Amino acid sequence: MMKFLSVCVLFFLIPLAVSAQQNEQLLFDQANTLLEDGNYFDAIQAYKTIEQSGQISGGLFLNMGIAATQLDSMGLAKYYFLKASRFVTTNEEATKALQYVSSQFSRQSATLPKLPWDKAVDIMKDGIGAFGVFLIGFCLVVLSILLLIAKWFRWLSFHRINSIIATFVVSGLLILLLSFYVDYVDQRFSEAVIIVTETQVMQQPGESSDLVSLAYEGYSIVVDNRKSKTSEGWYYIRLGNGQFGWIQPETVKIL
Amino acid sequence: MPLLMTKTGKKTLVLLFTLFTFLSSNMGFSQEASVEATLSETNIFSGESVQMNIKISGQALNSIERPNIPNIDGLRWLSGNTSQSQNFTYVNGKPSISYTYGYQFIAQTPGDYTFPSLRVSVNGEEFNTKELKFKVLDPKTIDAGNADRSPDIYVRLEPSTTEPVVGEQVTADIVLYFKSEIEIPSYQASPGWKAEGFWKEELENRKQTTTTSSIIGGVRYQRARLLQYAIFPTKSGELTLSPFEITVQVRKKNRRRDIFSFGLGQERMDLSTLPVTINAKPLPELQNSTFSGGVGSFEITRSIKPEKAFVGESIEITTTISGKGNIPLIVKPDFEYPETLELYNPQESSTITRSNRQIGGTKIFTDILIARNEGTFEIPETRMAYYDPARDRYSTATLPALYFEAERDPRATSLTTEELRFDITPITGLAQWVSYNEMPLTSRKTVWVLMVLPLLVLGASFGYKSYSDKMNTDTAFARSQKAKEKALDELEKATRQSDLKIGYYHIQKAVTQFICDKLDLPQAGLSIDLLVQNLSDGGGGQLAKEVKLLLEKCETIAYAPNATQAGLETDIQNAKDLIRSIGKLV
Repeated sequence: MMKFLSVCVLFFLIPLAVSAQQNEQLLFDQANTLLEDGNYFDAIQAYKTIEQSGQISGGLFLNMGIAATQLDSMGLAKYYFLKASRFVTTNEEATKALQYVSSQFSRQSATLPKLPWDKAVDIMKDGIGAFGVFLIGFCLVVLSILLLIAKWFRWLSFHRINSIIATFVVSGLLILLLSFYVDYVDQRFSEAVIIVTETQVMQQPGESSDLVSLAYEGYSIVVDNRKSKTSEGWYYIRLGNGQFGWIQPETVKIL
Repeated sequence: MPLLMTKTGKKTLVLLFTLFTFLSSNMGFSQEASVEATLSETNIFSGESVQMNIKISGQALNSIERPNIPNIDGLRWLSGNTSQSQNFTYVNGKPSISYTYGYQFIAQTPGDYTFPSLRVSVNGEEFNTKELKFKVLDPKTIDAGNADRSPDIYVRLEPSTTEPVVGEQVTADIVLYFKSEIEIPSYQASPGWKAEGFWKEELENRKQTTTTSSIIGGVRYQRARLLQYAIFPTKSGELTLSPFEITVQVRKKNRRRDIFSFGLGQERMDLSTLPVTINAKPLPELQNSTFSGGVGSFEITRSIKPEKAFVGESIEITTTISGKGNIPLIVKPDFEYPETLELYNPQESSTITRSNRQIGGTKIFTDILIARNEGTFEIPETRMAYYDPARDRYSTATLPALYFEAERDPRATSLTTEELRFDITPITGLAQWVSYNEMPLTSRKTVWVLMVLPLLVLGASFGYKSYSDKMNTDTAFARSQKAKEKALDELEKATRQSDLKIGYYHIQKAVTQFICDKLDLPQAGLSIDLLVQNLSDGGGGQLAKEVKLLLEKCETIAYAPNATQAGLETDIQNAKDLIRSIGKLV
């Protein structure tokens, strides 16, 4: 009975998944035609429809970046090329495109170098992700538990087994904690790109507040999502030079 | 040798001549003496003493002839109380000496008087002091009640003006007033004075605090300026300076001095100024210029360096604003740059001076530009304005146009052109689609399942290990755990038996063995009564009776005339029920 049900479920689900992907591919092909015909604005709209459906790909973002470049919207282009660079299939092309786009901005932001710890967290976040780190920690904890059980039932016994178990447990738990920290950083802070020509960075959320600095198109910033929730209609950000302030959400695109 | 000596002598003569010329020139300065007369008080109560000081200064004072003190209306000279002091200073390589002669007088009849000019001879030259006007007051005019009610000591915040324009410096003095019978050995300002609506800076005050005398409400007070702040209103409207708090050590002059008092005669007092309201006026409208934010007196210049550079090299536009006024509040000027130039984050530096009751200094803004193409570039002329409160209008500085030339670096041409080309082709074929589903770890069910699973496995394994260990080490526990299984095996044998006697033997063995295993009793040598007694002690009174009946039946079955196979099966079932019941009980 169970086997029959499983077969039924697979029978219905697989065609649905394939159909969904075919639908995205169809929309993608139509948007590509618009791009090739020079209808860049319509092409971007079509690509956005695919993105909103929850299906994404490196090619989708790369083509969106190309369309934005042709529309001379360099901030938006940088945003899409940065997204495309996160996919293995389009990383190389997107990196080249980013070099070009960055050379087109009339104002460049000074960027403070990141601390080694932050760099390490970024590598984990952008590489295997928080869940990947979690799985590594989980595997180490499971391995230590299996060794412990084997020792209890005398299936396995060798010199320094206790030390090895303790090492695996401590390492596993630390990596599990690290995964939650990476996840916390990932959820709290988001990279973003300024997409308008110029925007004001205020000291407090409100247009009457003191001005901290001006941010120009293409500036890479970091949005503090948790603090941003404290003031509706404003994002709390950190500029590349380390200054903090509040900007209006419509001026940025969060990666 | 003689020749050489003659030559040296000539050199000496030249040196002596030079020295003489130098000294003669200094002697010329030494003739520039000055004489000044001052009165310690100009409003004096009748009967009070007052001192007239004559200060004679110069670079060399060879002979001084003191003045003759004539009879002065309103004052009586105490000829025995004349004092003399001298001071020698050496500033910028020039010596200076001053003599001060103090003459003590007692005020006489009330009225307005003039201290006449006195003639003093210095280095043979005659000098006349200025006339000094003074007033002798009648002590009867003092309201005794008012004098008693007036405080012995208080502190005031005295701004230089109460109606500045926004950004204008206001000098706020913290002034201590105290009566003559009081001494102030020390004071300490409380930190954290807030001047909301102002940018404030403490002014340098290197000189030791000195006191002057003044009459307030008919009472003589000593006035000492303790601290000075430069405050700049940052917005227009009524702004209030909050109270300034200081702590002073107070000592009464007439208190008997005792060398063993160890400062016990001192009293600590916390004083606070009253709030002061400043009405800051807005700056007037400005036309045809860019306002720098500066209020004061400034000099504004702009320069470019280098004037010729390669494409891609940085060029610095430096704007220097120096002078007196609100230097830190001056904002970076926004110049119009050609669009083909890249503007990088500007740099800013400033130095502030706080001397002579005035904030001043220099602020430097440096814009960093990079030309991405070759050519000659012009940064247009611009006008920068600052507000000059002394002249009550804006002053404008015209910054002339700047030019620079950018040429291509012959070593880097190919690289630059290649970098600027956009030759990315779109991906038009099949794409690899992934679902975008970014959830936090704590919201993923998988994560929680994976977190709990190892703990469950560990717990289960630990339970099984404990059970296994106990089975191996605790005989009573092992017998108890295996009792039911063994009893049921025995009853199974009874079921398969066709011989009633052997069948009942197995029933008896099963029940006896089960009870012994459960109660950890020895199997051999136990009578039915003893077995039943142990079971009864364990709380199974009714069960004990049933067990006794069954076991007795098993023992006497050989003598039973009407025993049948059906009876055996019924008793096997009874035995199973009894075993189940005993198992629950024990």
